[in-house]
Amino acid sequence: MKKDTCVISIADVWRKYDMKKNDPLVVLRDINLKIKKGEFIAITGPSGSGKSTLMNVVGTLDLPSFGYVYLDGKDISKMNESDLAYLRGKTIGFIFQQFNLLPTLTALQNVMLPMEIIDVPENDARKTATDILIALGLGDRLHHKPNELSGGQQQRVAIARALANNPEVILADEPTGNLDSHTGKFVIDFLGRLNKEGKTIILITHDLNLVKYAKRTVHILDGKIKQRLSK
Amino acid sequence: MRLKKSFQLALNILIHSKLRSWLTIIGIIIGIAAIVSIVSISIGAKQQLEDRLGNLGADILTISPGFSRAAGNFGFDEGGPFGREDTSSNSESKNLTARDLVVLRNINNVKYVMGGVSSRGDLTYLTKTATVSVSGVDETIWKDITTEELASGRMLTNGDSYSIVIGDRLASSTFDDIPLNSKVTIEGKTFKVVGILTDGNSVYMPIQTARNVFDDIGAEEFDSISVKIKDVGLADETVSNITKKLMMARGILKETEKDFTVSNPATMQATMQSTIDSMSLFLGAIAAISLLVGAIGIANTMFTSVLEKTKEIGIMKAIGARNKDILTIFLINSGLIGLVGGIGGIILGVFASGLIGSMVSGTSGGISRMFGSTAITPGLLITALSFSIIIGMIAGAIPAYRASKLKPVDALRYE
Repeated sequence: MKKDTCVISIADVWRKYDMKKNDPLVVLRDINLKIKKGEFIAITGPSGSGKSTLMNVVGTLDLPSFGYVYLDGKDISKMNESDLAYLRGKTIGFIFQQFNLLPTLTALQNVMLPMEIIDVPENDARKTATDILIALGLGDRLHHKPNELSGGQQQRVAIARALANNPEVILADEPTGNLDSHTGKFVIDFLGRLNKEGKTIILITHDLNLVKYAKRTVHILDGKIKQRLSK
Repeated sequence: MRLKKSFQLALNILIHSKLRSWLTIIGIIIGIAAIVSIVSISIGAKQQLEDRLGNLGADILTISPGFSRAAGNFGFDEGGPFGREDTSSNSESKNLTARDLVVLRNINNVKYVMGGVSSRGDLTYLTKTATVSVSGVDETIWKDITTEELASGRMLTNGDSYSIVIGDRLASSTFDDIPLNSKVTIEGKTFKVVGILTDGNSVYMPIQTARNVFDDIGAEEFDSISVKIKDVGLADETVSNITKKLMMARGILKETEKDFTVSNPATMQATMQSTIDSMSLFLGAIAAISLLVGAIGIANTMFTSVLEKTKEIGIMKAIGARNKDILTIFLINSGLIGLVGGIGGIILGVFASGLIGSMVSGTSGGISRMFGSTAITPGLLITALSFSIIIGMIAGAIPAYRASKLKPVDALRYE
């Protein structure tokens, strides 16, 4: 596998927390993972297995204690905070289990925000955000705040926000965890559609029903990759 | 992130902030209001002082009967330079006489000497009557020695008897409109208004007429003597000369037994200026303390606000916000708290200074009278506003910095 086809690549990554002296809590042990462009990869594992920590490292929200993380071919440990934030904003779109919309902004403003953070002109941002929200069936909910939307609608706003900067990677952390099965199916189908359109999808889940959508599955147990399954 | 967007987000935080933020803002409002009203009162007092003393003229010394150790206690009564001096005498008061005038005329550096009397009487014009201060002046010298200025008509001159010159405020405010050359009645006698001054509530008439009209003015006595000097630079020397000569003439040996007071407007101005300055400083210090308390309130609110917004900070960082974006948003937010507090404080301060002004000017006499007029200058408002914004930003700096340094993963996990 050539390095330049990898969107995210992590090598020899350890993540430990120094909770007690001489007895650190090791959450990730020697993880190696390469995620290619256009992949649909599922990371699974029971709670406490370290999959959330792995998601944070993969999403560059957290830095490993040892090892290397390459985002878009760049070693993130050599980047400053500002450049990393910019690259993250452009390259990765996050979808969280808790939706994580900003409660005081409307749906439209929430979706515009990632674009405005990287200085996309306001009018362009508004147009793009409106288009995405309409495509997700939220054309009549543009000016509603999160607490005026149902869970499914909020998650669709979150998906729209993740797509705002047209990132290469969508990182979805238990995206259906708080949704009913019908809405959950919509979300997972939508991720499948995005993958077909060429986006790289990283899905973190413990739901084995979702795993079947992925082309590759990485199973984590006790901070180690135990199983790699490819279709 | 563009500054405009940071501003919008900061404003959004402020608009959706809880009661706590508004309580903080009230703290700033009170601090700024205190400073605005205190500064406006002291500026007003200074202006008042300059106006009043400017009216007296730096080259006019005033001699009044009785002696007060507090030489600064100069009457700012409506009677102008001949208002009744509120001097408490520690020796038997003896009125000033024509003999004193003669003594004064022979002193070096003295240009003009004029004795004056004053009283209060009822002035009637058409159907309205009001009690006014009346000064009796030497009509031959008055126009040379007075600092009053004419708005219309003429000054008193030789040969005037039942003629008066009145202040503009008396003519147009106290009475609806007393035109030039109209007839008014004072204490039952009819007078012709020959001149109207640019300002003031005073009535000036020839001294002999005043003696005839008012029973309380003695035949040969003066309530005050005004001395116009040639060289203002020699004012202090002239004051001590006058004191020495008058003591000799009046047969007084010791300084402590003096029965008259020589007032020099320049010294008085300095005394009053320093009184006002130290009062302003004292009040300003109190106001500054209240503002400091307000600033600590902002810092406290910002710390809590950052804590509450931790998760949102994490979300913003996840979607690409940089540390400096977060820092800017929270700095602007605390600056906005300062701004809103500043605007509120200015409104309250202007209102309060007006209220204090009208309350104080209702009381009579001396320094308290000075604080009756307040002045709100654009400079004061701009300073107060920028001050409160800067205070807000300084108070918010540490919380904002801490917010910006949060690790995205930790912030996102915060519940």
